[in-house]
Amino acid sequence: MNNTDDKSSSSSDDPFAIKAKAVFDQSVDSLDGHTQSSLNRGRQKALAEVDSRNISRGFWTRWAPAAGAATVAVVAVSFWIREPQLDAPASDFELIMAEESFDMLQDLDFYLWLDIDAQTEPDPDANIDIS
Amino acid sequence: MTAAASTFAVSCNRITTTGAGTLLREQNLNRFLAQVEKRALRIAEISVRDRDEALDLVQDAMIRLARKYADRGIDEWTPLFYRILQNGVRDWHRRQAVRNRVMVWFGRGKNSAEDVDVIALAPDPGGRTPDEQLQNSEAMQSLEQALRELPARQREAFMLRTFEGLDVRGTAAAMGCSEGSVKTHYFRAVHSLRDTLGEHWQ
Repeated sequence: MNNTDDKSSSSSDDPFAIKAKAVFDQSVDSLDGHTQSSLNRGRQKALAEVDSRNISRGFWTRWAPAAGAATVAVVAVSFWIREPQLDAPASDFELIMAEESFDMLQDLDFYLWLDIDAQTEPDPDANIDIS
Repeated sequence: MTAAASTFAVSCNRITTTGAGTLLREQNLNRFLAQVEKRALRIAEISVRDRDEALDLVQDAMIRLARKYADRGIDEWTPLFYRILQNGVRDWHRRQAVRNRVMVWFGRGKNSAEDVDVIALAPDPGGRTPDEQLQNSEAMQSLEQALRELPARQREAFMLRTFEGLDVRGTAAAMGCSEGSVKTHYFRAVHSLRDTLGEHWQ
């Protein structure tokens, strides 16, 4: 980037530019200690930016794979040792097959027959004239 | 070796490799900033005429370079750094222009009959005492004054090419313009400065 082979407008050949550079360099070299100290502090702040970037990046680079593997292991173990749930609500089939329901099932046939019989037999009181 | 243990081992190995690379990059960046900071300060100071403001601008440019471009190649740092710095200088001038307009507006409102030249009455922007001013090279003072009279782009092109030693390509990258524009700006700057400073300056 500092190649000065550009002939069309080279600053290295021009006497005016050479003198200007020399005068400028002299002013740079004569910067006081206080100013140089301020520059140094600014540089350290800038380098601290690189540090903080690398710390946050390093955290994820270091722990993300291990955290991912640990998470997978925990999930796998939780599926492996899962116990059957004892307090699940009973199904309708279980209710029906419970022993104490058999009597009701037997009576249920009777109640169904009553219902059918009531629908087919005419009402003996249906045509009573009360006038 | 279980899957979890092997994953952890790979990540540890990556830390070591990444840590060495990071340390090297920090060392390179430190070396680069130490090498460029004083010239950058003087270049900024010529533009803004205030050392404290120039220090803030240079520090800001360093931080931005470290924050956003530390991963770029070392060859790119110089034009990138000066690009950031020049953008900061331009923003500074814009803010100053707005501030000066506001100050002038309030000044006219209070004493319209007394048009005081605030700039003429202001102390030396560089904060230099009279003794310090005498100590400075007369040649540098003349050059600084002549540079400030140039249009901003010509001043940028001249300082980057002459003071920092950037070639045309690097200067174009730093200024965000074409190489042809750099040559034009530089050519005009040199001629203007020669005319202003005169033959005796050389």
